[in-house]
Amino acid sequence: MRVATKTVYDMVKFNLANITSDLNKANKIVSTAKRINAPSDDPIGLTQVLSIKSSLSNVEQLERNIAVGKSWLSASESSLNHVQKLISDAKALCIQMATATTGAPQRLSAAKAVQNIYEEIISLANTDVDGRYIFAGSETGTAPFDQNGIYRGNNTPFAVKIGRDAMAEVGNDGQEIFQPSGAGGTDDIFQTLKDLKSALENNDVSGIKATICSLDEEFDRISAKISDIGSKMVRMEVKEGIFQDLKLANTERLSRIQDADIAEAITTLKEKQVAYQAALASSAKIMELSLLDFL
Amino acid sequence: MAGLGLVLSIARDALAAQRYGIDVTSHNIANVNTPGYSRQSPVQVTKEPAPCGKLLLGRGVDTTQVIRACDQFVENELMQKKSGMTSYKEMENYVQILEQLFNETSETSTSSMLADFWNLWQDISNNPSGDSERIALYRKSEMLSEHFTRLSEDLTQLGNDLTSAINAGINEINQITDEIAQLNAQITATEASSTANDFRDKRNVLLSKLSQDLNIKAFEQSNGSLTIVTARGCILVNQNSSYHLEVSGDNGDRVVWHSSGDTTVDITNYITTGKLGGWLDMRDKILTKYSLDLDALVKEFIWAVNQQHAQGVGLEGFSTLEGTYAVSSTQEELGTLDSGLPYYNKIKDGTFKIWVYDSSGNVVGEGPTTIFIDANPGGTTLEDLRDTINDKTTNPNLQNLTATIAQGKLEINADAGFTFAFSDDTSNVLPALGINTFFQGSSAGSIAVNPMMDNKDFIAAAQIDTDGSFTSGDNTNAIAIAGLQHISTDIPEWTCNRVNGNTEGSITATIEGYYRSMVGSIGIVSQNISRAKDFNEAMVNRLSEIRDSVSGVSLDEEIANLMKYQHAYSAAAKLISISDEMLNTLLNVK
Repeated sequence: MRVATKTVYDMVKFNLANITSDLNKANKIVSTAKRINAPSDDPIGLTQVLSIKSSLSNVEQLERNIAVGKSWLSASESSLNHVQKLISDAKALCIQMATATTGAPQRLSAAKAVQNIYEEIISLANTDVDGRYIFAGSETGTAPFDQNGIYRGNNTPFAVKIGRDAMAEVGNDGQEIFQPSGAGGTDDIFQTLKDLKSALENNDVSGIKATICSLDEEFDRISAKISDIGSKMVRMEVKEGIFQDLKLANTERLSRIQDADIAEAITTLKEKQVAYQAALASSAKIMELSLLDFL
Repeated sequence: MAGLGLVLSIARDALAAQRYGIDVTSHNIANVNTPGYSRQSPVQVTKEPAPCGKLLLGRGVDTTQVIRACDQFVENELMQKKSGMTSYKEMENYVQILEQLFNETSETSTSSMLADFWNLWQDISNNPSGDSERIALYRKSEMLSEHFTRLSEDLTQLGNDLTSAINAGINEINQITDEIAQLNAQITATEASSTANDFRDKRNVLLSKLSQDLNIKAFEQSNGSLTIVTARGCILVNQNSSYHLEVSGDNGDRVVWHSSGDTTVDITNYITTGKLGGWLDMRDKILTKYSLDLDALVKEFIWAVNQQHAQGVGLEGFSTLEGTYAVSSTQEELGTLDSGLPYYNKIKDGTFKIWVYDSSGNVVGEGPTTIFIDANPGGTTLEDLRDTINDKTTNPNLQNLTATIAQGKLEINADAGFTFAFSDDTSNVLPALGINTFFQGSSAGSIAVNPMMDNKDFIAAAQIDTDGSFTSGDNTNAIAIAGLQHISTDIPEWTCNRVNGNTEGSITATIEGYYRSMVGSIGIVSQNISRAKDFNEAMVNRLSEIRDSVSGVSLDEEIANLMKYQHAYSAAAKLISISDEMLNTLLNVK
């Protein structure tokens, strides 16, 4: 086929342009270490990348939620452990004061000890985490129990989101723990302690003996609550473990789709470089030749 | 004429012919790089032989014409393919700009901002009474809104750039058609007596340039002039006259053909190839679709958040409140198009409750007031709603509230010491009027955070209980809003066709899912355009080669021709000196 002079130069220009464009693309992949630098590089891949990133973001947020939940649960557990110990101290005092060997003066000083226990439990029931009361239901802004043991919170425990459609109760309904039948009822810890104190002050041995039973019940109730909280903690930790695995799996998937295989990328770059050099050399050779050189 | 004179005249003709040959060859060599040039060659024929006695002697050579080597069929094919390639090249440039606008690889991409937005609602749910979480949400929402408005502006700007390019293109087209008309005249005149090679080359170049601007069909008339026709059969050039294209339309975005009289024909939707075709496709098909889709997405996003937000209550009730959406007429039913509300179609028959609280926080009248909304024609208008709230006899619990309408928006004010809040809206009238909503606006260009939310305590993380109480530790509404991230709704999706118009379809997706598929779709469109461009480019290249193989100048060939004519010239010159010697010999005979 007849080849015009112009064609030779046009071909050189066209081929060099193509090769430099490929070289540029290969270079971009190596320098950003990412396969996908624009939606058109791999549209389907990009959609998957965005979806995975969204999942990762969700999982990280849920981990943050669980961290908040765990702090509430461990604060609840530690407070209730103390309450349990105090009740057990009260009971020991009770038994000691109910014996015949103690007299009225010892009972009077025991009454003061019971007052201390009472105030201590009130203060534990008003535990707060970062300024929010954990035994007040969702009325986290006000201390649940006043000095008289009257409950001012509500009955909806605070909950955090630990899954797409899953909530976990991490707060507590203070009333349910400390006075299930309401203030002044037979299972009201505060009432029991008040009764014990007045029995001690009045040197009323049968009164003292009567509170031992209530104290036992209240102790068992607190124990049950503590193990409930314990199992909630376990559930949180299990969830945490699942989320960590999920994060790892998603991060791997993400990397597989969006990250460039460096070895492959560099090999391609080298390949294009060589092609470019070859094209330059051959173009130079072709452009040199002309009939005029030989005349 | 026989005899020695014949040799002289043959020599003279030969010299002339070889000289013409060298002239034409030098013309070719000079124009080796001229684009669109077809190599010319002289046609040399023998002269009519003349009788000389019994013999018929040839009388030498004559150069009859100079022809150009041109395969018009290949030229036409090349023009068509170039037209297609240019259109894809232009589209590729602009679609890559569009891709950058939706660049999801940076940290401030739309999808990461949306993810942060949903996460911040969960942070609020972990600490509903906390200040820092509310401030963080407010700031992020401002950033998100600004991001959307900027994106919308960028898309509009891209459209404006395309329109400017189209205007410039039209000017160029008009110039070219004028020149072609002039050339037509020159060619017709010249070809009355000889060939008009260079004019034809020039015209071909102009024709090629024109075909790169828009789709044309060219027909050569018997007198050599070219008639050029474009979309919808509008004639651009006919004989010596050219007809211009103009810009028209309300936004200066239509291309019309202007006849010699006053008629204009709108050819915007029928320009298919060339730069104009590429720009128009980019602007009216691709850009329009994604602008409409973005607006639809943001409109749905605003609605979803607002609808749930209006069901909740913040850390305190309102003492004064102004809706963000205005009606165009206070006497039109809220649920109809004539109301002028952007979300009129979401309003349905239903009720909502207003709770009023006195200064100690107790519910006035021990209970809520239920307001009924009728969304049908003949139903509730804004004036009806205002009058219902102000009606102290039917709604005594609202006696401390006053409702007014200011510039089409509903305003509610409570007397000093009283506050109010809302719950249980089944009619959607609260978010439709912009009452207790989080965002305002209804498109990507107008989204912003509701100015009422400047007081962060109004961010509705809680919901009102059945007894009218609400607590600072309640996170029900915040959880519900965070949950919107995974809820799929029907979102409009547009198909844009320049000839058949834009049709609104609908797909069911989550907000993030819809955005993701939008980005993926842009990527695919861009890929397709790049591939089409590469394919067309390869075709154009191949055709160029073929065209040049027919019409292009090869220096080697011309040099060889030069030698050929040069030797012939020296031989012809020798003829003259021989003939001169012979004449001398004859003349010197005594």
